[in-house]
Amino acid sequence: MDMNKEQLNVFLEMSTVLTAFSEYELKGTGQLEAYFNTVVEIVGQGIMDELLNAFAEVKKIANNNEAILNKQLRFQLLSNDKLGPITRNIIKMWFIGSWYQLPNAWRENYGESQKDITFVVSANSFIEGLLWPSIDSHPPGAKAPGYGTWTNKPQITEL
Amino acid sequence: MHLHPIETVKDLYNYLYIAIQLEHATIPPYLTALYSIHPGTNLDAYNLIRVVAVEEMLHLTLAANMLNAVGGTPDLTGEGFVPLYPTYLPDGETDFKVGLEKFSIAAIDTFLNIERPAEIDNSKGRATGLLKVNRKNTSILPSFKTSDGEELHFHSIGEFYSAIAKGLEKLTKELGEKTVFCGDYNKQVTPEYYYSGGGDIIPVHDLESALAAIRLISEQGEGYEGGIYDYEGELSHYYRFQQIKLGKYYHKDDTPGKPSGEDLSIDWNAVYPIQSNPRLEDYPKDSELYKEALVFNEFYKTFLKQLTTAFNGQPSVLLPAVGGMFKIKEMSYKLMRNPIPDKEHVNGAPTFQVDSI
Repeated sequence: MDMNKEQLNVFLEMSTVLTAFSEYELKGTGQLEAYFNTVVEIVGQGIMDELLNAFAEVKKIANNNEAILNKQLRFQLLSNDKLGPITRNIIKMWFIGSWYQLPNAWRENYGESQKDITFVVSANSFIEGLLWPSIDSHPPGAKAPGYGTWTNKPQITEL
Repeated sequence: MHLHPIETVKDLYNYLYIAIQLEHATIPPYLTALYSIHPGTNLDAYNLIRVVAVEEMLHLTLAANMLNAVGGTPDLTGEGFVPLYPTYLPDGETDFKVGLEKFSIAAIDTFLNIERPAEIDNSKGRATGLLKVNRKNTSILPSFKTSDGEELHFHSIGEFYSAIAKGLEKLTKELGEKTVFCGDYNKQVTPEYYYSGGGDIIPVHDLESALAAIRLISEQGEGYEGGIYDYEGELSHYYRFQQIKLGKYYHKDDTPGKPSGEDLSIDWNAVYPIQSNPRLEDYPKDSELYKEALVFNEFYKTFLKQLTTAFNGQPSVLLPAVGGMFKIKEMSYKLMRNPIPDKEHVNGAPTFQVDSI
């Protein structure tokens, strides 16, 4: 799939606001392109355009004011019947590495995709979920932290 | 600094310090190539390189055990201990440099040079040891000077270790085994502190155990007496890497250079496009990449401090230090997945610059 670099950057920026992880951390998971593609494959390029345009609008209104940005994001994206469920799905993908089937109401109103089923994006996306660094733990069966390290207290940095 | 044949205990300390430095110097290049591979791809090559890197960590620990056994003090924290890559290896080979590179044919060629077998002098059927070569570059690393002032270079790591073995034998004969192996046994890293690390850790306390450690290091690297396997029946590092280059696994009775086993599946493109031999100054100072590369270097410096503590009477510190190795892996992945700002398709990588901190 030909990915629009500019769109990918907006998607990345939106993801930093949605997850509170930095661009460096998000790129560091190696999952950016995979998540972008997953959204486009399931909801279509048109709705992806709408979502990214809505975020661009929110950013414009906020004009670098973080409080306004947070409020507008809730108002324009998360509370929007069409964009809200997708936005929440993007947050879940970043943290858990899985796409969750969209709610029935959404599927009835905005079109059902055959691909819209609950699935793990890839073996690596599970491993790279932001859930694990959030709790200073590691995904079961991967990123083993070494013998005896379980005696160390979790070190959770403030976001 | 020049090396000469080992005459005194001080010479021995010098050689063993270089041995520790040498074993360590191979690890960042191996790890860089290893972590540049996209996870889940190139599984054959990934596993081959990973096992070699882990065995180098074993060699490092064995070299520290040897230095402790003869009463020396392992120190991985001194300035210049970690080379600035690309570099010559500390045992004085000057015909190739070792650098930090992504998984590529060029990187595998360098790895083959690192692990190359000793030059065999066919007339005598044994290793000649030292080579006379013209030096094109000024090496900051030691070469070898004979008693009549001739400058020589070790051709292989195995030959460097064989010089240590000769020195140990000579000093033991002259001074007595108890005098040479006067180190505190409590400083030895023993199997309880070292797990699943590419072979058995050998505590060193006399000539026999020291020679066993040297044999393990040399044969894991180069094979045994010109064969492709070591005395434990494991394929040596040189031939493991050669399999990647030739795309084929060795089979039990194969001759060197002619593997007849199954094909390796290699995808040279499933690799992060990292910058070769990166330096901090390659990353814009206000970027997260710069900040995180610095965090990596600080972490690596602390890791070397922990190893030094572990090798100086507190071997239990090795356990949390090894835990740190896993963090080094995750930090490396993050750096390698982030493009260098303002550069097209060139990603960051750990720079391993610890002296400037």
